[in-house]
Amino acid sequence: MTWYFLRRLLLIVPTFIGITILVFVITRFVPGGPIERMIAEAQQASLQSGGGQQLGEGGQTLDEDQLRQLEEYYGFDKPVLVSYWEWLLKVLRLDLGTSTRYSEPVWDTILERLPVSAFYGIMTMLITYFISIPLGYWKAIKHNSHFDHASSFIVFVGYAVPSYVIGIILLVVFAANLEWFPMGGFYSEDFEDLDSFWQQAEDILYHAVLPLLAYVAGSFAVMTFMMKNALMDNLAADYVRTAIAKGLPFRKAITRHALRNSLIPIATHFGNNISVIIGGSFLIEKIFNIDGLGLLGYESVVERDYPIVLGVLVISAILQLLGNILSDICVAIVDPRVQFK
Amino acid sequence: MSASSRPLLEVRHLATEFDTEQGVARALDDISFRLEAGETLGIVGESGCGKSVTSLSIMRLLPKPAGRIVGGEVIFDGQDLLQLSPDAMHGIRGNRIAMIFQEPMTALNPVYRVGHQLEEALLLHKPELDERQRRDACIGMLEKVGIPAPERRLKEYPHQLSGGMRQRVMIAMALLCDPDILIADEPTTALDVTIQAQILQLLRDLQRENGMSIIFITHDFGVIAEICDRVVVMYGGRIIEQAEILELFDHPLHPYTRGLLQAIPKLDTEPKSLLKTIPGMVPSLLDFPPGCRFQNRCEFAEPRCREETPPLLGEGHQVRCFRAEEFR
Ligand SMILES: Nc1ncnc2c1ncn2[C@@H]1O[C@H](COP(=O)(O)OP(=O)(O)OP(=O)(O)O)[C@@H](O)[C@H]1O
Ligand SMILES: [Mg+2]
Repeated sequence: MTWYFLRRLLLIVPTFIGITILVFVITRFVPGGPIERMIAEAQQASLQSGGGQQLGEGGQTLDEDQLRQLEEYYGFDKPVLVSYWEWLLKVLRLDLGTSTRYSEPVWDTILERLPVSAFYGIMTMLITYFISIPLGYWKAIKHNSHFDHASSFIVFVGYAVPSYVIGIILLVVFAANLEWFPMGGFYSEDFEDLDSFWQQAEDILYHAVLPLLAYVAGSFAVMTFMMKNALMDNLAADYVRTAIAKGLPFRKAITRHALRNSLIPIATHFGNNISVIIGGSFLIEKIFNIDGLGLLGYESVVERDYPIVLGVLVISAILQLLGNILSDICVAIVDPRVQFK
Repeated sequence: MSASSRPLLEVRHLATEFDTEQGVARALDDISFRLEAGETLGIVGESGCGKSVTSLSIMRLLPKPAGRIVGGEVIFDGQDLLQLSPDAMHGIRGNRIAMIFQEPMTALNPVYRVGHQLEEALLLHKPELDERQRRDACIGMLEKVGIPAPERRLKEYPHQLSGGMRQRVMIAMALLCDPDILIADEPTTALDVTIQAQILQLLRDLQRENGMSIIFITHDFGVIAEICDRVVVMYGGRIIEQAEILELFDHPLHPYTRGLLQAIPKLDTEPKSLLKTIPGMVPSLLDFPPGCRFQNRCEFAEPRCREETPPLLGEGHQVRCFRAEEFR
């Protein structure tokens, strides 16, 4: 078992290299990179500052020297694999480089956003489990009842409507019209002035209600049906009949026997959630103006801020890979038949 | 034990129905039999004839809400099980009447250790025992059912045991509370022949030791011959014949029973000769015609068989056939 997980951990290395190398190469060849952007910006600036001024050679505002400097700065002067290698060595020293957009260390930018994303991610996951498991349980027990049908309707709506649409609706109704909740942001402007920890927590939660609703609406449908179906299968299982024949009341046979078996598929799913969750949905972050990792990654791609793009990738790839291992550990905990060798 | 004294279990005119997509199916009709203390009663019949439903009805374990008992009584120890409160029934199941099933592979919960699942029965019915006593009882019972190194087995999970071992664990679990009746629903069908023989021997030995009664369900007359004192033959949800084992084998009266017995290969039949089979198929529960349910496959059927249901007649050896007297 230990050996299995050691091997899985070691396997992270090649997988990680594969993912990052791919993205690194793509950043090299996608048009509209940082240098081209800078040239465009410089042109824009010179045009605005007075049309009469002469443009540089070939209509460029940046001369050869400056260009070479820039290429060197971005590492574009070397073959792609060489600069990848240099980048990787820096990553190993926990140096993710400097953002071209903010001129700040990438680490600082990411660390600033990470708690926000982690907060939403973990809250979403907890609430989703908290709703889906009991709801799936009751739907299975009351299969085909009015409760089952009514809740299925809600679950299907949550599944069919994209969560950013739900986010917009929530925002329009509860923030703009009813003004029950703030329009967005992670916390209020005067957050730093709030004196007690509890007031700060309250402020964050107050801002979190609508985005969390949007997140949860998008994720609890699958989980609820997974739970319901798993439990239904197990209710019909022979060992539940054995338990009842042994003298257990029906309810206890479910809670003691069927329930644990039904959690196996949920546990398998657990690790996959992690990266999705930390990454967040940039659409929801955008709608609610939350400075999370999803939005950061998205904006960096648009702005060709490659150090940040790669930095976000590093974080999410590692989380995803660790999440998979965590899934396996969860499954091994709930299902003794699973043997890792 | 004389037939006139009160039997341990008496089933009277039991009827069970299932709601199906096509309508209400009467899976059991007028089932009546008695089980004496210490006796082994076999229930035999083709697949789908209602053997399992009979045992589930007695235990009130029919799948809800599709299945329900619509009539009859199940008198156990002087009380009608069908009238008991759910709580009282929990006290009977696993304690006074225990059950083992066909599929030992799936009948144990895969995520709990064998010891945990065994102990559960004791926790339910013998709360006065402490942890040590429970453990000792489990080890003792595993020894009795012939499981080597029982202490170690307690800590194992079902998937670590072979099919035969699992069925032994099931038997141990059923017998932990020393039940009066053990209902065994095809306990050996899923096992290979040598294991099957061992399990039958084990049940016989255990019965000699604790004097329990056994209801043994099977579709295999060979198994019936080995273990049973009396036999109930079912067809299409009805009992069509019941008798002492030797009486039934020597003088089968119902055309169906005679067909079944002729379908068993014997040592003195010519090798490679064609086995006699019963022609035709069992109709589905919803399509049984009025009258005798076996009529469409019966070579002796006469007009009356298509109109009236023959009653189950006789003392000791009972048969449900208008023409049975001709075969006596
Ligand atoms: N849950 C159910 N819903 C509807 N009909 C059922 C259900 N369970 C059993 N039946 C019907 O009851 C009849 C008797 O089934 P039962 O399981 O008792 O057969 P059996 O004699 O035990 O057969 P086998 O040898 O295959 O175990 C069958 O015809 C079956 O179609
Ligand atoms: Mg059966």
